[in-house]
Amino acid sequence: MLIPRKYQSIAVAAILLIVSLSILSYSAVNLTETGLLRKMVLEVAAPVENLINTSLTALHDAWKRYLFLVGMEDENRKLRRENALLAKQLNQYREGYMEGMRLQRLLDIKSSFQTETLAARVIDRKHTSLFKTILINKGTSEGLRVGFPVLADKGIVGRIIETSWHASRVLLLIDENSNIDALIQRSRAQGMLQGAGSSGCNLKYISRVEEVQPGDVVVTAGLAGVFPKGLLLGVVSGVSRKEGGLFQKIEVAPAVDFSRLEEVLAVISEQGNGP
Amino acid sequence: MIYYLTLPFLMLFLVIVQITILDLFSLGRIGMEISLIIVIYAGFHLDALRGGILSLMLGFFLDCLTSAIFGLYTLIYIFIFYLSMIVAGTVYGEKPLLIAIYAGFCTLLEGLMIVLLYRFVFATDMLYTLPKVFIPQAVVVALLSPLLFRLFRSFEVFRHAEDTRPSRRV
Repeated sequence: MLIPRKYQSIAVAAILLIVSLSILSYSAVNLTETGLLRKMVLEVAAPVENLINTSLTALHDAWKRYLFLVGMEDENRKLRRENALLAKQLNQYREGYMEGMRLQRLLDIKSSFQTETLAARVIDRKHTSLFKTILINKGTSEGLRVGFPVLADKGIVGRIIETSWHASRVLLLIDENSNIDALIQRSRAQGMLQGAGSSGCNLKYISRVEEVQPGDVVVTAGLAGVFPKGLLLGVVSGVSRKEGGLFQKIEVAPAVDFSRLEEVLAVISEQGNGP
Repeated sequence: MIYYLTLPFLMLFLVIVQITILDLFSLGRIGMEISLIIVIYAGFHLDALRGGILSLMLGFFLDCLTSAIFGLYTLIYIFIFYLSMIVAGTVYGEKPLLIAIYAGFCTLLEGLMIVLLYRFVFATDMLYTLPKVFIPQAVVVALLSPLLFRLFRSFEVFRHAEDTRPSRRV
């Protein structure tokens, strides 16, 4: 080469500096003019820049969308919590309303009695055991005694068979040990309503000659003095007259749905502590 | 030969990445000037011709895509490259602290050159950009340069193990 090896680097540096200074001088003089090389670079770079910028914009949009969705998820969670709270409150109000309606019906019955009554809440049911009973949350300290009749808004529930200071057990009229003097409202035929377990009750000792029809209303006779007279017990659901018998077999469907009892009314009568 | 054939594409791609993706990480006007760190690295590790061509191309592409005065970055990068070569011949250029200080100095030098060239070419006073733009940018470049030097070194060793050298005198 013409240039000694020792000075080659300096020569290259000098050439490159002169080239760059020339470019700068040229462009300083011709500011408005875009050179061919520059045009080519711009032409090559523009699609790449566009591609990168499009990708970045898409990424940015996706990120913004993600943040939006995260925000929406939070909001959704918050609304779900609020919804659950409101549903709970609504349920409480609905329960309160329904309880109020039940108590109102009990109050209507209460007002029809001359004697004192006491409202109680059902706290336990024993329908599967040998005895068909319920437990109520009032006892001797509130004035309840064994033998007091217990009513619901639809009719007779049963009578108290056990009491403690603050709880009492009620024998339901469907229990096989329950016997209540009853009469058929339409014909005034008198008999004994005996519990028949889960199938309801049977009205016994009604003569074959009495005309009894399904749908006849059965009410208390008020003879033994335990239950006031004329309270609804149930409705005749079936009648059969067997050959050779003295009495009819009358099936009675209780007026009260014992599985849905929540509040009852105990009648504080003078005939307490009875059988 | 492969070096000179692939260099324009690589440098163009690098400049595009710098002005698009890396620009996203910049805080306001403080850019992450990776191209300047590459020029300094070239000054420390490449010969006059290879490094000079690399600096010329980087400056040229940066001029094409960003500069208002065509040739501004070309001149600055070539100047900084040869300055780095001279510095590399006098100091041990593997110390991270030295790299960071020198890279920061080069950024300030670049800023000063831009201000002066604008002053002479456009008669525009851009002195206010030195504290506002170039000093924070010098800090960013100073912080990044040791890491990038290590990265470039690893890449260079991986690619051209036989050609590598720790530092080189002019």
